Amino acid sequence: MDSWVRFNAQSQAKERVIRAAQYACTLLGYTLQKGGATAELHKTVSQLEAHMSMTRKMLRLGNSVEALEAAKRAIHLSDSVLRLCLTISHLNRAMYFVCDNVLWAGKTGLIPKLDQHKWSQRSFRYYLFALILNLTRDVYELRLLIECEGPYRASKAPHSPNPTLSADHLSSPSTPATSAWIRGQLHLLVTVLYSNPPLLLDLVKNSCDIFIPLDRLGIYPTGPGFVGACGLASSVLSILTMVHPWLKLKP
Amino acid sequence: MDGFVKFTSQSQGRDRIFRATQYACALSIYLLRNNAERKDLVAKLKSLETNMSAGRKLLRLGNTINSIEAAKRTMRLSDRVLCLCLTAANVNRALYFICDNVLWATSVGLIRDVDKERWSLNSSRCYFLSLVMSLTRDVYVVIQLMTERARDKSFRQKMETHLGESPEVAEAVVPQLDAFVFLLLESLRSHPAVAVDTLKNICDLFIPLHSLCLYQSNAGVLGFCGLMSSVIGIVTLVQPKFALKP
Repeated sequence: MDSWVRFNAQSQAKERVIRAAQYACTLLGYTLQKGGATAELHKTVSQLEAHMSMTRKMLRLGNSVEALEAAKRAIHLSDSVLRLCLTISHLNRAMYFVCDNVLWAGKTGLIPKLDQHKWSQRSFRYYLFALILNLTRDVYELRLLIECEGPYRASKAPHSPNPTLSADHLSSPSTPATSAWIRGQLHLLVTVLYSNPPLLLDLVKNSCDIFIPLDRLGIYPTGPGFVGACGLASSVLSILTMVHPWLKLKP
Repeated sequence: MDGFVKFTSQSQGRDRIFRATQYACALSIYLLRNNAERKDLVAKLKSLETNMSAGRKLLRLGNTINSIEAAKRTMRLSDRVLCLCLTAANVNRALYFICDNVLWATSVGLIRDVDKERWSLNSSRCYFLSLVMSLTRDVYVVIQLMTERARDKSFRQKMETHLGESPEVAEAVVPQLDAFVFLLLESLRSHPAVAVDTLKNICDLFIPLHSLCLYQSNAGVLGFCGLMSSVIGIVTLVQPKFALKP
């Protein structure tokens, strides 16, 4: 109970719970449509989804300032790749929030003649850029960890044959050697990810999230069911990182 | 900027800003109601008010648990009167949130065949009771402060000087009333938190008084009172010294 109170006191936590509920409604709507449910039930679910979307937009009204503050902090990072990725990602997020606020103003009627489709597309574009940069950062961190882990494993097993150096294998690249190498790399990847849960969580979350703007911008349409499932999964992972702060990838 | 981020990262902070905006819209709508040139502005304000109100209802969905936890905490207070007042206030707030959640579910279409009027009336009643309990606690705290001050020697000297000055005015005014008012004002001045909390509760009280038809006021008064209490709420969050504890 006490942990719920602490969790709830964070504005972002409420927004994530509502996001999870919103994408659950999207998924439910798709399932009901496929299952042939009544139009009234489908309408209720869509209305609930729209209501949650509007409330989330209202809740996000001050977030561009937060994103700019995060970008200011990211500028001081020592690692240049991380600095670049995170700063630009936060700036894109700030722009996404600005577009989102304009959309909210349009939907509530404060700006009557707003081209909602254009602003919606704009906001999804910024969101996509931010996600691509986050994924780049994840891949970079993963590569760093693999590079550290690789020599450690090689030192642990010095007698294992190195297929790439063998002359026989170089002259005729046989499938078993390549597949063994691929298997080795995959095993290394899995080990690194398993021992770094924050990175794994962040990678999965960003991968799930990226399908949403890809679908909405028409770059890779997947349909409401898949989008709903991805949104729900990423929201649940986000809530998990809030409940267990050690799971959050830093910086 | 950093302060703004810290304030808005609290769920309560954002809710109070939304509440202030909602009641500012209500007040503006009332003031502009007869202005024919501003009809589109009035429509925009009405739309904004409705959206804020609907959004806030959704955001209040988890608050019952918050109030129950607060009630559990206040049950352990040593002072009996404070314990009773605050626990009753928190329990009533929890009931108010339950009614509010049911009303939200009805407005969204999740629950049908619900007597909306009855639930709305019950939510106003619970809110009214919680405010009455909060005001009782404020009055109790003020009485305690006044008793404490009255016993203080340096304050009694101050009182004598105050009653002594401008004797021609003191003849016109009843001396006991003058002394009482002076004691009250001094006590409130030394503890601004209780003064701020009393003012906030009085402003808030007009809203359920109107809904329960106990004291009808117009939309302008309700808007103004709501705006005042929201602004006071924001001030207590920004400056914790104005927040009354426990």
